[in-house]
Amino acid sequence: MNYTIHFSQVVEYIPYLIGGAWISLQVAFLAFCGGMVIGLFGAMAKTFGGRMTRMVVDAYVSFITNTPQLVQIYFLYFALPEVGILMNSYQAVLLGMTLNAGGYLTEIQRAGFLSVRQSELEAAETLGMNLMQKVRYVILPHIMKVLFPSLSNLYILMTLGTSMAAIFGLEELTGRALNINAETFRSIEVFSLTALLYIVVTVVASLLLLAVGRVFFRVKGKVF
Amino acid sequence: MKYLSIDQCDAFYGDQKVLECVSLDVDKGDVVSLIGPSGSGKSTLLRVLVGLNQPTSGRILLEGEAIDYKNRRSLKKARERFAIVFQQYNLFQNMTVLKNVTVAPVKIQGRPKKEVEAEAVLLLEKVGLGEKLKSYPDELSGGQQQRVAIARSLALKPEILLLDEVTSALDPELVTEVLDTIRLLAKEGRTMIIVSHEMGFVLEVSSKIAFMDAGRIIEVGEPRKILEQPDTDRAREFMGKILRH
Ligand SMILES: Nc1ncnc2c1ncn2[C@@H]1O[C@H](COP(=O)(O)OP(=O)(O)OP(=O)(O)O)[C@@H](O)[C@H]1O
Ligand SMILES: [Mg+2]
Repeated sequence: MNYTIHFSQVVEYIPYLIGGAWISLQVAFLAFCGGMVIGLFGAMAKTFGGRMTRMVVDAYVSFITNTPQLVQIYFLYFALPEVGILMNSYQAVLLGMTLNAGGYLTEIQRAGFLSVRQSELEAAETLGMNLMQKVRYVILPHIMKVLFPSLSNLYILMTLGTSMAAIFGLEELTGRALNINAETFRSIEVFSLTALLYIVVTVVASLLLLAVGRVFFRVKGKVF
Repeated sequence: MKYLSIDQCDAFYGDQKVLECVSLDVDKGDVVSLIGPSGSGKSTLLRVLVGLNQPTSGRILLEGEAIDYKNRRSLKKARERFAIVFQQYNLFQNMTVLKNVTVAPVKIQGRPKKEVEAEAVLLLEKVGLGEKLKSYPDELSGGQQQRVAIARSLALKPEILLLDEVTSALDPELVTEVLDTIRLLAKEGRTMIIVSHEMGFVLEVSSKIAFMDAGRIIEVGEPRKILEQPDTDRAREFMGKILRH
């Protein structure tokens, strides 16, 4: 044990790391939003759709939830160019994470759909709302409120999951940490600093999510 | 030509026939009360009118024109003329009182928000809830929620108001509040079909009473006649029980 801790060497890289954290946040946010949209349509299809539509959505959800995300992204990154679709690592990771989130969010939102009170839907019906209006004014606000904790958790998991992108050479937080490590060999300092940044990122994200939940969806709850 | 005419309607829940050859005429400005034992089909009849349950045979005519419940345009047009207030209020939990009342006129009828809101405030004041505009349903008492539901249905300016046991979930003090609101509407000459077990109230506001049993309307007539000297044994038995309370 003759490793002496020297943070001084890695301090200069802090802005570089923060830049990486920003990319992580970005990827997670975009993938989450895309996943929410896919999930919303998936849940609508599973709740209101015909037999064929439901089967297609079921197949998609089963594929996503029964294969590793890493494999899904590898598939996009390496298999799609074979059929002429070229993607850089950022695009592949973002698309992979979006499709992955879409699968999970279909299931989560479908559970939310089922928990909407029938009586509210009947009221909406007699007031003259069509399906899209029911979704917009009754179902979505309801599921955002009841699902808020699970959605927040998923978002945090996705933020951490972006570290996978380093494998594809995307220079997000983990990717940049690996770069610095290769240059300085200050592994302990680099990775403890990286972990700290991940904590900061998730705590900030949690706080923001809670604020959004409180203001827009009447979510009650504490941060910790 | 009758204003609203229910003509020999049948309705089913699964295999169970819950309305059988129901006919009823309603004139403009009528307050028709539906009474009868639990399970006799009173709620179902109101639900059929607004198309939540479809009649399997028979017709419903508005000013001589049959509503086609299988045709979305026809159904939408008919629904614009009806409003229903459910027994369990069915308010939108995620909306404030004001939003509950304004959402349909603004987002569905596409009327200007300012104008609708001003009207909604007046309506809510009329039912004694002027102070509660920004509250959510789960912050209100049952009677208050019921009155919001009534205001919500009135905001659409329906021609015909359907009220399904709007006081049955309330305690006696709140019943008075809600009944006062309905009395006011009856005085204004609004056409209403009311399901109620409050016989005193029914006698006071109705222009006509229909007694239902096992999915059929077995007696229709002038309120005092139906309540005090019904023709059928079944109605006599029911009145005997309910008035002994
Ligand atoms: N959702 C449903 N599914 C199946 N059967 C139903 C349903 N709702 C009502 N029914 C049946 O339809 C019949 C008529 O019910 P309805 O609710 O119209 O009676 P009601 O006269 O309103 O009774 P109450 O005074 O108890 O409200 C009953 O026999 C009931 O069992
Ligand atoms: Mg009923």
